[in-house]
Amino acid sequence: MMKKSITKYELAGMIDHTLLKIDATYDNIKKLCLEAEKYHFASVAINPIHIPLAKKLLKGSRVKICAALAFYIGAYPPEIKEYEARDAVAKGADELDMLINVGALKAGRYDIIEEEIKGLVRAAEGKITKVILETCLLTDEEIVKACQIAKKCGASFVKTSTGFRKPGATIHHVKLMRETLGTGMGVKAAGGIHTAEQALAMIQAGANRIGTSSGVEIIEGLE
Amino acid sequence: MEEKIKKEELAKKLITSLIESNVTENDIKKFIRETKEYPFHGIAVDLPYLELTKKLLHGTGIRLIAPISYPLGGMTTETKIRQLQYAIEKGADEANVSLNYSAIKSGDFAKVLDDLKRVVEAAKSKIEIVAVLQSPILTNEEKVKVCNLIFDAGVRAIKVASGFGWNTRPEDVMLIRREFRDKFRIEASGGIRTTEQALEMFALGADLCHTSTWQKVLEGAK
Repeated sequence: MMKKSITKYELAGMIDHTLLKIDATYDNIKKLCLEAEKYHFASVAINPIHIPLAKKLLKGSRVKICAALAFYIGAYPPEIKEYEARDAVAKGADELDMLINVGALKAGRYDIIEEEIKGLVRAAEGKITKVILETCLLTDEEIVKACQIAKKCGASFVKTSTGFRKPGATIHHVKLMRETLGTGMGVKAAGGIHTAEQALAMIQAGANRIGTSSGVEIIEGLE
Repeated sequence: MEEKIKKEELAKKLITSLIESNVTENDIKKFIRETKEYPFHGIAVDLPYLELTKKLLHGTGIRLIAPISYPLGGMTTETKIRQLQYAIEKGADEANVSLNYSAIKSGDFAKVLDDLKRVVEAAKSKIEIVAVLQSPILTNEEKVKVCNLIFDAGVRAIKVASGFGWNTRPEDVMLIRREFRDKFRIEASGGIRTTEQALEMFALGADLCHTSTWQKVLEGAK
């Protein structure tokens, strides 16, 4: 049994209820939205093709629509990423999660990382932006560098992973990101988080948002 | 004893690729330096590297291939079209376009057709469209239905699966060939790592095979 350090309501408010599967049906998206309403999750995190449907279903709801951008390879030119972000906003997205060009970061092309994050923030027009690093592919040094660039460019959050590669979020990486960013920015832990215990450990390490496809199980598992 | 296929002959029926999150410009340069020794049908790279690859492939006759909304197909029609326009600007010869798989699985075939039709329209015949069927997530009924839609949209080439864990099964190549005869160029992709596997796909009706491990596939040729 988990120690009651956080209420169900508080934890639910930190969860991006996520469904990015290639074969997700309209019915699956409906279920996701209904659950998000019922449990008061922060958002539904979905592929851009599903934004209009989620928008319709969540009309008048406090649940936000979070769009997964540049998924899940991330290797797109900055102008294409900015276009996709604008398109997502135009269709009704409230939050934008974008994977960086990991290869550009590795090659030391920080100008590209800066340009793509600036484009994302510009396209977001004040909406929440989350910069995904795909930490399992990066060294600690690269993670620190990417966090610094994201902070400089005005992103709202830095996020560990897409969830498509293993391992997803780790305590070590979340701590490192929080240390680098300080308190002024958000840290989203995502990928491989399936239990209340894991979610609480991520929050303890410095995360203030959790991306998971197991939101219902996590909330039900919190005593 | 059967005569071995020549490396050059086999390479002409292969498409190789370097599509991954952590690919760098130097990786591309090294990759092209090695691959352009053989007359591959084509080489696929992520959008940021199209321009560089085009330059490096100049004079080889190898076709440049761009992935569009790859591999999930979760991007909107508008974003796909923007990507396609970018690929055309950078000189890509072919585009591997993911479909709206969610719409397929929801039975919304009108949406699937509309999406692909608009992409084909945007291509303005300046780039060859290859539709990525993604057969491993489809029922046989869906495969046939979607192949018909692909044909109706004016596309004449099908990549059976995307790779990235979604592999072309021999029976899917057979199914498409049997149901559609010569209506499509069939490209097998995903998990093809040996000469034998590639030759089997060709024997069953595939016209081209995608492989990221081209050295292994060419190894069994003379």
